[in-house]
Amino acid sequence: MRVITATFAIAAGILVLLGYFIDADALRYIGSLITDWAIIIGAFAALIGIINLIFVHMEKFRTRQTGGIYSVLLVISLIFTTGFGLLLGPENQFMRLAMDAIIVPVESALMAILVITLIYASIRLLRRRVDLMSIIFLVVAILVLILVMPTPVGQLPGAQQLLDFINTFSRGGARGLLLGIALGTLLTGLRVLFGIDRPYGGN
Amino acid sequence: MPIDFLAGLVGLVLTLLIFSYLIGDNPLFRLATYLFIGVSSGYAAAAIWHFVLIPKLFNPLRSNDPAQLILAVIPFILCFTLFAKLLPRISWIGNFAMAILAGVGAATAIGGAMLGTLIPQSLAAMDMFDVRGLDTAQAFTRLVQGAIMLAGTVAALGYFQFSAGRAPDGTPKRNAFFEAIAWLGKVFIAITFGTLFAGVYMAALTAMIERLSSMINFIRQLAGI
Repeated sequence: MRVITATFAIAAGILVLLGYFIDADALRYIGSLITDWAIIIGAFAALIGIINLIFVHMEKFRTRQTGGIYSVLLVISLIFTTGFGLLLGPENQFMRLAMDAIIVPVESALMAILVITLIYASIRLLRRRVDLMSIIFLVVAILVLILVMPTPVGQLPGAQQLLDFINTFSRGGARGLLLGIALGTLLTGLRVLFGIDRPYGGN
Repeated sequence: MPIDFLAGLVGLVLTLLIFSYLIGDNPLFRLATYLFIGVSSGYAAAAIWHFVLIPKLFNPLRSNDPAQLILAVIPFILCFTLFAKLLPRISWIGNFAMAILAGVGAATAIGGAMLGTLIPQSLAAMDMFDVRGLDTAQAFTRLVQGAIMLAGTVAALGYFQFSAGRAPDGTPKRNAFFEAIAWLGKVFIAITFGTLFAGVYMAALTAMIERLSSMINFIRQLAGI
């Protein structure tokens, strides 16, 4: 069974990859067809994940675990939103209300409290680990913030030049990080395509 | 009650509940986050159903074209095998669908890494040394910038090189050259993270200003000011 699932994964991966790199209509069509299947399976898996979320939180309430009462709120709100969404569609006025009244304000407020938590994290960094790298990190962060902040007299003199100078260094480091991430991704993908890693089950 | 007013009122209350986290984790904050997770998961489920499953799976299943029907039946069967994942004894049935997902995911990741990052970033690094059409001063500035950026790229990559030999006492140790490159890489990474931190902080500050201004506007509207 493990060999069959690995064959499925390797065949699907190679066909999609060939569609990327070889300029042939048939390969491109097959690649896009299999990618569409993966999108459908991924979407269905997400739905099953949401169903599992309901089961997990109902179990949490049933066994009277800590915070079980919040789980009831989560399940009720999830079922109501899903029900209305399935019946009326995500573009309906009630679904827009859910987006404008709950999702956007909460996301935005969670982002906003980062203003305080990031300052707190910076102070903790200085208290726990005072070394050259922490100091460089915080000095650069503060400097960039000062240089880009609007002031009543406009941009500070020489701010743009200094910002460009810092950006030369940060772009070099960022490119190194991006290339490192891409090489890691490439290696992980190849391990799946060679059947060395099998995240779909089987050892 | 007008729908905009209701949205504003609920938004205001939820914002205050989230801001209550600033005095520590508390039931009000949890209430808002659990509600948020419930509603956003429900919204995601509805969006998946209407924007992916209906057009890509269920509509082709109603097609009169046999070829299209066969091509739609395959993902349909694979999707239903995923339900087996909820039952541990027969969860292996779902492995076929997961295998296709993992295979396509791996191929997409390889394609994305190659075409989206490795090739364009390498070309951009080389492009900094293209000084055609520039006068001497501009060419010099560009070459210096290119050299600094290339040094940063190589050093940052070198920092993540963890192969090491053995010191006389048996402890793992990199040679002095790689140690120096790794140290330089750490400096570049610290500068990069400092810049990123400033960017995230500015985004958070913008969100804070937006929230506060929407709260003030709502209260002013309520008071008729």
